[in-house]
Amino acid sequence: MKQSLSKKLWLLLVALFTAAILVACGDDTDGENADSDGGEDASGGETTDIIAWAWDQNFNIAALNLANEYYENEDFNMEIVENAQDDIVQKLNTGLSSGTMKGMPNIVLIEDQRAQSFLQSYPDAFYPIGDYFNTEDFAEYKIAPTSLDGKQYGLPFDTGATGFFYRTDYLEEAGYTHDDLVNITWAQFVDIAKDVKEKTGHPMLALDPNDLGILRVMMQTTGTWYTTEDGKINLVDNEPLKLALQHYKELMSNDLVHLVSDWSQYLAAFNSGDVASVPAGNWIAPSIEAEASQSGLWKVAPTPRLDMEGAANASNQGGSSWYVLNIDGKEAAAEFLGKTFGSNSEFYQELLTEVGAIGTYKPASEGDAYQYENEYFGGQKVIYEISQWMEEIPQVDYGMNTYGIEDILSAEIQQYLDGKSLEDMLADAQAQAENQFK
Amino acid sequence: MSQSINTTSNQKKPILQRLKRNYIGWLFILLSIIGISLFYFYPMIQAFLLSLQSGMGANLDYVGFDNYVRLFNDPTFITALTNTVLYLLIQVPVMIVLALIFSVLLNDPTLKFKGFFRTAIFLPAVTSLVAYAVIFKYLFGNNGLVNDFLINLNLISSPIAWLSDPFWAKVTIIIAITWRWTGYNMIFYLSALQNVDRSMYEAARIDGASAFQQFFFITIPLLKPIILFTSIVSTIGTLQLFDEVMNITSGGPGNSTMTISMYIYNLSFEYTPDFGYAATVSYVILILVVILSFIQFKVAGDKE
Amino acid sequence: MKKIKRVFTYIFLSIASLVSIFPFLWMLISMTNKSVDVTAGRLLPGGHLIENINKLIEQTQIGIALWNSFIIAIITTILTLLIGSLAGYGFEIYRSKGKDMIFSILILSMMIPFAAIMIPLYRLFGRISADAPFIGLDTLAAAFLPTIITAFFIFFFRQNTKMFARELVEAGRIDGLSEWGIFFRIYMPTMKTTYAAASIIAFMNSWNNYLWPLVVLQSPEKQTIPLLISNLGAGYTPDYGVIMTAIVVATLPTALVFFLMQRYFVAGMMGSVKG
Repeated sequence: MKQSLSKKLWLLLVALFTAAILVACGDDTDGENADSDGGEDASGGETTDIIAWAWDQNFNIAALNLANEYYENEDFNMEIVENAQDDIVQKLNTGLSSGTMKGMPNIVLIEDQRAQSFLQSYPDAFYPIGDYFNTEDFAEYKIAPTSLDGKQYGLPFDTGATGFFYRTDYLEEAGYTHDDLVNITWAQFVDIAKDVKEKTGHPMLALDPNDLGILRVMMQTTGTWYTTEDGKINLVDNEPLKLALQHYKELMSNDLVHLVSDWSQYLAAFNSGDVASVPAGNWIAPSIEAEASQSGLWKVAPTPRLDMEGAANASNQGGSSWYVLNIDGKEAAAEFLGKTFGSNSEFYQELLTEVGAIGTYKPASEGDAYQYENEYFGGQKVIYEISQWMEEIPQVDYGMNTYGIEDILSAEIQQYLDGKSLEDMLADAQAQAENQFK
Repeated sequence: MSQSINTTSNQKKPILQRLKRNYIGWLFILLSIIGISLFYFYPMIQAFLLSLQSGMGANLDYVGFDNYVRLFNDPTFITALTNTVLYLLIQVPVMIVLALIFSVLLNDPTLKFKGFFRTAIFLPAVTSLVAYAVIFKYLFGNNGLVNDFLINLNLISSPIAWLSDPFWAKVTIIIAITWRWTGYNMIFYLSALQNVDRSMYEAARIDGASAFQQFFFITIPLLKPIILFTSIVSTIGTLQLFDEVMNITSGGPGNSTMTISMYIYNLSFEYTPDFGYAATVSYVILILVVILSFIQFKVAGDKE
Repeated sequence: MKKIKRVFTYIFLSIASLVSIFPFLWMLISMTNKSVDVTAGRLLPGGHLIENINKLIEQTQIGIALWNSFIIAIITTILTLLIGSLAGYGFEIYRSKGKDMIFSILILSMMIPFAAIMIPLYRLFGRISADAPFIGLDTLAAAFLPTIITAFFIFFFRQNTKMFARELVEAGRIDGLSEWGIFFRIYMPTMKTTYAAASIIAFMNSWNNYLWPLVVLQSPEKQTIPLLISNLGAGYTPDYGVIMTAIVVATLPTALVFFLMQRYFVAGMMGSVKG
C-alpha cells in the first residue's frame, strides 16, 4: 500500500517535471517565433527593434510610451522594460563590466547623481548624442551631470526642482502668510519651524536620518557639492556644507523634525497631517495630493537658500536623463530621443497633462499646460512656478562619489549630533573619504 | 555489520564488490562535482583574480595584494566586520536554542493544534522581505506599537529609538533575523526528529528520566548532525547577512548596522563600482567562514 | 504539575505564533486598504480589495510572473532534491578518504557571498549563450541552473543520512537490489520527512531568489515574482495597497507548499522507521 502510494507520487512528480521542461522550452520557441514574426513584418523597410529600460510605470515609462506615440516612424519599434532603479543599476553594472553587451538595452534611464559614475566607469559603453538635439534648450544645471569631456551623453529628462510645500492652515496659525515664506533663508526656515512647533505643536518636516537629501538640497542653493569640479573631496573647507549641517543639527536637536525610517512613513507624515511642510523635489506633489481631504490646505513657496553670497532660492533633488548604449541601433535610438524629448514642445504639454512630468526642456514652459491652476494648492500655478525656479537652479558637478561620501558623512553626523565638534567631524570625514576614493 | 555478510560469501568477491561500490559511489556524486565546479569554483577563481585588481567599473588594473592591505585601513570595513561578528555571536545561539525548543514542543504527539503552531511559526520565513521590512519599520518606529506596548507595561518610561539609535538599531536587526529564521531552522529539527526512534524516549521515561534529561541526553545527541548542519548554515547566513539590513536600516544610522555583505553590495552597485575591492572583501568572508566552520566541526566532534 | 506544564507550553506557543503571524495578518489587512491608509498603519480591513486586485492585474503581468516563478521553482525543487540527495547519500554511504576531501572542498562553495561570483557567472552564461542559446542569458534555464546543484543540499542530505539506518542498505543488498535500487527503493521512501523539509526549503529559495534572476532575465515576459514586486515599489508614488496585494499573492504559494508538506512532520505517522 505504502509502496504503491510513493510510486504514484513519483509518477506524478516525473509527469510534472516533464511538463515543466516542455513548457519551459515551449516558452523559448514562442519567443523566437515572436521575434521572427517581427522580422517578417519588416520586409521592405529596415525595422529597428529598440529596447528601453526605465522605472516607475506611472511616470518614466508612461513618458516613454507617450514619446513613442508622438514619434512618427513606422520602422521604429520600441519595447519598454520596467525595472526598478536599483535593479537597473545592478543589471547595467553586471552587464557592462562583464564585457558582453548582449542583453543590454538601447535606451536607459539613469539618475543624474549616478550618471558620472557610469560614464567614467564604462568609457566606451555609451554613445554621445549631442548631435541629435540642442543642449542650450535645456535647463543649464542638467548639462554638467549628463556630459563628460565635452561630449553630451544624456538627454535631460525630468527636473527635480525643489519647492517648499507647506500647510497654509498651520503656518497661518503660527502667524505666517505666503509672502513671509517666499525667498527666505534656511536660517529663517529654522526660526519659523520653532514658531510652528511652539504655536501649533506640529513638527516642521519629516526626515529619515539615513537620507541626507536635505543637506544636498541646502548645499546646491549655493552651487557647491561634496566634491569640487576637478573631483577633489570637499568637506573640511566647505562653508555651505558647514552652514547646512548647523541648520540640520538645530532642526534635529530642537525636536522640530518628525523622524521616519521608511518611505511609507515619510509619506504618512504629511498625509496624516502631522508635519507642517515638505521641502522636497516637485515629484512629491502627487503624493501630497493623494490625501484628498487636505485639498486647498497646501501651497508651495520657493526653496529656502543658504545665507551666503550668490545663493539662489532654487535647488534640485533627484531627476534623471536618457542615455543611449553604444550597440546596434544606437542611431535609431538617439534619433527617437532627439525628435521627442529633445525638441517637441507639444509633446511636453501632453507629458505634463497626461503624466504629470515636468521636463527640463525650456521652450516647453511657454505652453498652455504649464499655466494650469492647481486647486489642490489653492489655485496656485504650481507647474509654472516650478519651471521658473528650475531655470535658476545653480549648476553643480555631482562627480562620482556622492553616495560613497554620504555614507562616510552620515556616520560622522551621528557623532556630530552627539556632541563632536563640527570641525573635527568634517576633518575626520574628509580624511576617510580621501583614503577611500583616491 | 558488514563482517557478518563477508563471512557468508567467498573470499574474493568482497574486494571486487567494494571496488565496484566505491566506483558507483563516485557516480552518485559526479554530477554535483561537475555542477559546483562549473557554477561556483570557476567563478570563485575569477573572483580571486578580480580581488587582485582595482579601479572603477571596467577600468581595472592589477595591483597585487594592495586591496588586502587597504582593508585594514578602511574604517567602514572594520565597522562592518565588527557588526557582523557581533550579530553572529548573539543571534545564532539564541536562534538555534529557540528553534530546538519549538521543535521538541511541537514533536509531542499529544499536543493539540500542532499544525497551526507549526505553520504560524514557520510563516515568517515565507513572508516577503519587502512586506516585513515595511511592517518592522512601522512596529519599531518611535511611535510604533512596540514602544506603545512597552510604555503601557511600564517597562520603559520614554520611547526607545529602535531604528535611529546605533545600539538599538543593532538590537532591532538581531530581533528581525531571529524572527525570520527561527521557524526555518525548526523545520530541519522537526524533520530530523521524525527519524528518531521513539522507543528510546519510552525507555528513558520508564527509567525515570525528566523531560530536561530526555532533551539533553537523547534529543541533543541524536540531532547532533543536524544541529551541526544548522549552526554552520546559520553562521554562513549571518556572515553573509544582507537582506534584513538592506531593507530595514540600509546599514544606518551612520553605518552602525552595516554588514560585510551590505558593504560588498555598496562597493559594487551603490558607489562608483570597484569590483576588485568588492571581491577582496568577499574573500575575507570566505576565510572567516572556513575558520569558523572548521571550529564548529571540531567542537561537534564529527566522528570518523 | 503536568497540567501546569501543559498550560505553559500552550501559552508559550500561542505568544510565539501571534508574534510570528502578526506581520502576515497585517499584510492581509493591508491588501484591503488604499495606499494612504496602509502608510498610516491602519489595522482595520477596508473596502479596497477588489480595486487593488484589479489594479494589480491591469498594471502588471502578474499572471506571467507567477507562471515563470512557478515553473522555475518546480524544476529547481525536483532537480535540487534529486541531485542533492544522490550526492549526500553517495558521500555518506560510500565514504572514503578521497570523497571526504572532495566533500570539504565542495562545502567551500557555500561560503562565498553570491555577489562576489555573480559577475564571473554572468560572463560564463554570456559565453554559453553563443553556443547553447537555450540555456544562455535571458532563458528560464539560466535562472535556475546555478541554483540546482548546491553544497547546501548535499550537506543537508549527508547529515540526515548519518541518521539513516545503514542496516537497511545491507538488507537491500542481500535482497539482491542494485546500489541504485537501494537508493531509489529503500532510501528515498524511508527519508520522506527529509525530502519534505528539503522540498520546502528548495521551493522557498527558488521562489524568493532575486539577484541572479534579476541580472540574467531581461525580457519582461520572463519576469519572476520578486522582480515584479521590486518594480511596484520603485515609483515616486508607490501604491502600497497594490504592493501588499502583490505580496500576499506572492507569499501564498510557499505557505501552501509548507502546509502540504508539513503533514510529514507528524510524529509517529510513518511508524518506526528503524523497526
